[in-house]
Amino acid sequence: MTPLLEVERLEKFFDVSAGTLHAVDGVSFKINQGETLGVVGESGCGKSTLGRVVLHLLESTGGTIKFKGEDITHVNRTKLSELRRKMQIIFQDPFASLNPRMTIFQTLAEPLVIADICKGAELEEKVYKMMDTVGLARRLVNTYPHELDGGRRQRIGIGRALILEPEFIVCDEPVSALDVSIQAQVINLLLDIQRDMKLTYIFVTHDLSVAKFISTNIMVMYLGQVVEFASAKELFDHPVHPYSKALLSAIPNLDIDQESRRIPIQGEVTSPINPKRRCRFATRCRYAKETCMDSEPVLKEYSPGHFVSCLYAEELDQDKKRV
Amino acid sequence: MAYLNLDRLRRWTFKVKGNDMSDTEKILSIKDLTVHYLPPEEPACKAVNGVSFDIRKGETLGLVGETGAGKTTIALSILRLVQSPPGKILSGSIEFNGENLLEASEAHMRKIRGSEISMIFQDPMTALNPIDSVGDQIAEVVHLHSKCSRAEARIKVEEMLELVGIDKSRYKDYPHQFSGGMKQRVIIAMALACSPELLIADEPTTALDVTIQAQVLDMMNDLKKKLGSSVLLITHDLGIVAEMCDKVVVMYAGQVVEMGDKRSIFKHTSHPYTKGLFGSLPGAFPDSDRLKPIKGLMPDPAALPAGCKFADRCEFCTEQCRAREIGLTEVSEGHYVRCVLAEGGNHH
Repeated sequence: MTPLLEVERLEKFFDVSAGTLHAVDGVSFKINQGETLGVVGESGCGKSTLGRVVLHLLESTGGTIKFKGEDITHVNRTKLSELRRKMQIIFQDPFASLNPRMTIFQTLAEPLVIADICKGAELEEKVYKMMDTVGLARRLVNTYPHELDGGRRQRIGIGRALILEPEFIVCDEPVSALDVSIQAQVINLLLDIQRDMKLTYIFVTHDLSVAKFISTNIMVMYLGQVVEFASAKELFDHPVHPYSKALLSAIPNLDIDQESRRIPIQGEVTSPINPKRRCRFATRCRYAKETCMDSEPVLKEYSPGHFVSCLYAEELDQDKKRV
Repeated sequence: MAYLNLDRLRRWTFKVKGNDMSDTEKILSIKDLTVHYLPPEEPACKAVNGVSFDIRKGETLGLVGETGAGKTTIALSILRLVQSPPGKILSGSIEFNGENLLEASEAHMRKIRGSEISMIFQDPMTALNPIDSVGDQIAEVVHLHSKCSRAEARIKVEEMLELVGIDKSRYKDYPHQFSGGMKQRVIIAMALACSPELLIADEPTTALDVTIQAQVLDMMNDLKKKLGSSVLLITHDLGIVAEMCDKVVVMYAGQVVEMGDKRSIFKHTSHPYTKGLFGSLPGAFPDSDRLKPIKGLMPDPAALPAGCKFADRCEFCTEQCRAREIGLTEVSEGHYVRCVLAEGGNHH
């Protein structure tokens, strides 16, 4: 089966005054139809940029993107507008991503008008149906975003992404700005529409419990690179990369009887500008050796379907088993 | 200066008089606090409605609830920083070491703020003055509250910076030269510089990454132990509550709906709202493939329903719930629940 999306050695470099900022640096992955790829990592690791580059909201500076087997790395405007119907995005901030001067109806109808899909009664019908799908009461059709709470606003954002019946959606932190009870409502909605419309998601989040809950596979990013890739279950049961381990252990534990076993992680993310050719995590890694400082690890298949980018993956894992 | 010493004396005499342990142990005692915002020509926003709870010495109390539950208004009331107008503390008392802060003079409050009670704000990006070096900002607090020379203040500030894991060579650096996590450390250093008896932390790690959050929480725990401060931790994250707190107060629509020690809240969750909060968490029930969110939204604080405020969203709601105001019931020692179901003793 051809994967729905196949990305190889994708790069997005920005020229900044201090040099070259490596936002996304050689990222490769595949997503099959109907799956969710969770992308996790700290602020500045390039996870949002990755989502945008895949959608051509930012142009890549290297690598290839294939959508249903077709190379879409470089496309002209006509092709791009065709692609946009199939690939959509849900943004993080439901307060900033909606036009404050457009009503729900206008916001939801705009993609249909731009893509010239329908008008008149048919358009109205589609908008109302979408409001039902995302759980917005029809009476709200003429309200403006400022009249609504965050949860409802995010439902508009989701409706806008869905109205063209896309196959693939990048969800860029879609629930981070919401309260926990509303967050749960929106996550359930995303799961329901994924099942009903056979959608494929890239789910960018910094919340690891949300990623575990919603993802098929999870990709852990650090400074523009993938450090570990595995199924959600495998990653949580058996993380190998020292960064993934520390990241997972930092999640506050709900079980009050379980002693917190936090793996401390020193310092903060180093600069992504002109990174040296070495393991980017080495300066914070407690297992770092001299070799980590002067050679760059590559992402290798550690066990079937489980990829790790660490020079000492086997050794660290063995050590753990022995203990 | 003279009256200040009097103040201290008064509190000291109180401590001697109130020899009863249970009283002296209480650092903070909030009773029946009601705070409304009264914008002109608009309905009153009933932010806090009859809230009571205590914090004991050395204890960390977690104040939990969603946006608009009234958590921050309580914190601001303790420091008497509720903006007025439109905010108004309508009734209740806030006793800090036996003294009602709501009756204290503004000059006295100014002495308390930052030295005996201090606060860490949610957003480290906006809580620091951008045009003053971080060292000078901390020194200002030290200088204001202890009669020390500039040189002594500087030594104290350098100590505090080291304590929160910032090299003292960064004394003269400005906030924009620090990352979010480092800025929050500066704010914590500032809040703890005068060894406050009570530290109020309003969502101290919400703006931070999870690894940095872990560093900051660990550090807060260490410092709390070192300085013996009590902490009022405001958060919406039950995971943080599980790791940090001794006691939990769950707020909904300006009321306490459930409170008790951590074990009773986590292991014997009683109020349907608290249960809903746990059900909304992806990590709470690992085997379920769907979350169990609470339906609907929190009521508008300007138009609170009569009776139980949670009734509209509650799956166990009966006619009784809307008929009258529901009080807190003690379901087991120190564990209080505001629910009709708990009143009959058949809580589940």
